Amino acid sequence: MWNDVMADVIGKTLTGFREDLAAFGPRLLAMLVILIVGLLAAGGLRLLVKLAFPRLGFDRFAEGAGVATVLRHGGITTPASSVLALVLAWSVLGVFVLLAVGALNLQYARDFVSQAFSWLPHLLVAGALVVLGVLLADFVRRSVLIAAVNAGLGSARLLAAIVHTFLVVLFAAMALEHLGVGRQVILVSFTILFGGAVFALALAFGLAGRDLAGKALERLAQGRDATGNDELDHL
Amino acid sequence: MTVPLDPGVEKRLGDLGQVELLVGIPSFNSARTIGHVVRAAAAGLAKYFPGRRAVIVNSDGGSKDGTAEAVAAADFSSPGTILVSHPLTPVHKIVTPYHGIPGKGSAFRTIFAIAGRLQARACAVVDSDLRSITPEWIELLLGPVIKEGFDYVSPLYLRHKYDGTITNSIVYPLTRALYGKEVRQPIGGDFGFSGRLAGHYLTKPVWESDVARFGIDIWMTTTAIADGFRVCQAFLGAKIHDAKDPGADLAGMLVQVVSSVFDLMETYRERWAALQGAEPVPLFGFPHGVGLEPIRVNVERMIGIFRQGARDLDEVWRSALPEEDLAALQEVARAESHHFPDPLWVRVVYGFAAAYRRRRLPREQLLRSLVPLYLGRTASFVRQTADSGAEEVEKAIQDLADEYVRQKPYLLSRWDG
Repeated sequence: MWNDVMADVIGKTLTGFREDLAAFGPRLLAMLVILIVGLLAAGGLRLLVKLAFPRLGFDRFAEGAGVATVLRHGGITTPASSVLALVLAWSVLGVFVLLAVGALNLQYARDFVSQAFSWLPHLLVAGALVVLGVLLADFVRRSVLIAAVNAGLGSARLLAAIVHTFLVVLFAAMALEHLGVGRQVILVSFTILFGGAVFALALAFGLAGRDLAGKALERLAQGRDATGNDELDHL
Repeated sequence: MTVPLDPGVEKRLGDLGQVELLVGIPSFNSARTIGHVVRAAAAGLAKYFPGRRAVIVNSDGGSKDGTAEAVAAADFSSPGTILVSHPLTPVHKIVTPYHGIPGKGSAFRTIFAIAGRLQARACAVVDSDLRSITPEWIELLLGPVIKEGFDYVSPLYLRHKYDGTITNSIVYPLTRALYGKEVRQPIGGDFGFSGRLAGHYLTKPVWESDVARFGIDIWMTTTAIADGFRVCQAFLGAKIHDAKDPGADLAGMLVQVVSSVFDLMETYRERWAALQGAEPVPLFGFPHGVGLEPIRVNVERMIGIFRQGARDLDEVWRSALPEEDLAALQEVARAESHHFPDPLWVRVVYGFAAAYRRRRLPREQLLRSLVPLYLGRTASFVRQTADSGAEEVEKAIQDLADEYVRQKPYLLSRWDG
């Protein structure tokens, strides 16, 4: 009797396993197929972008738009078209991974895919904010640097770096806040940082730099440019 | 495209019909000085062109200080003071607002249009804040057109040896090398031109661009030369106008002038690429020199800004200049003697022209980064010519102009590369 019960339980277990496998197997297979297709699609897209975009002038456009300079500052020396190809390839692969997970048709997998897709727009907006912030920060940094050098300000590089850092931090904070990552922490940290910096500058400018501030304001009021009191008519 | 004119002006033009000579005066809040300019123009027309129908056109940008009233009140009716005994032919006056983008170019466009409507044969434009204008200026600007058949008269002023450094180190030698004509002061501000050339100017699609705002002077000169019109110069003596605005921004001025020149290089690339050498243009008038008061130049500050630029702007200059030129600039910045050689300066200008075309950086940023280089070059020039007279300084400028011509192949290689 004991043997019969054992055989019955084992048999049912094995049967159940076979049935589950028979039901899950196609889904697993579908997942693998989707992943393989995704890999091929991502690889093909990357190759296509790497070959076609330079010929369409994308790298020249990236130079002119300042994107290439920003990448170089970030230590990326490969052409902008290669970077774009990589980003697009990984994005396509990411989508196929989500689809592959969804193909398993498991509840938690379905929930995960649904959350991932609903979070995607936020990620895209945050990414756009970061890219925009870096481009803007680079443009403003360069403008401040050139203007400060032309005005004969000795700390031109420091001034430009401060402005650049401020803008990058601002846009990064906006991106994180949009993603909902550590909202309160971001908000409080930024307030402390920004408020502290402004307070420190006000103290320095108002107390320690009184005379310097006065001379700078006097120069501004009289509209003197980099050449001071030249009587030269440059034109 | 027709140029819009006020109904009152249209009626006036209909009444006038046709004139031979036109003097245009663009203005904006020039009540203090424009009266003198109008009287000088009227006297010049009366003395040197008696019997010819003439009109003075004031093209105004919406002045609120009584400029129009000053023009209307300004009159010249004293033959004795200009030593003529014939009756003075009345000079007609038109005061008109101009339409379009605020700027001298839009004012000129209205003057060109009126010249066309009145079929004027010879025209001149003079600044409204001139203090040194005399009746002889009118003869010198209109005479070569009406009597000798020239289409464009560029002014030549008597200047201090250090004045006009942007003109002397960039605009004149670059224009000479590119277009092959030795027009010494291509952005003088007071010009003569034929009615035919005025009509040609109106056909160009530039009136919604920076030409209308600030680039009209160099644009007129370059277009006249590049489009094959007969060009000459007239020596006008010293140009004295209202005191320089102390708030005038050097970087802004440099950006405006150089961007205008570089934009024209793109327009006329086929023309200047084929030209070699440069030829003199005829000069009317009686060149003379007088002692001019010394002017103060803060050379140390210029050198300081140049050295700071060499330290801090290397990343920006790198977008325009090759490694060897950047290294040479660092050497100039390190040297105590501060000598900025002509060949290096020419390569800098040509490098920036090519970079401007390629738009590797925002154009205004690129040109603003040229300011320390320009100041370094100017300081070197001032030091080099500190003990030189006007003739020696002019020779140094001509040597620089020859260097621009010698290095034109370099420009072509950078431009097309």
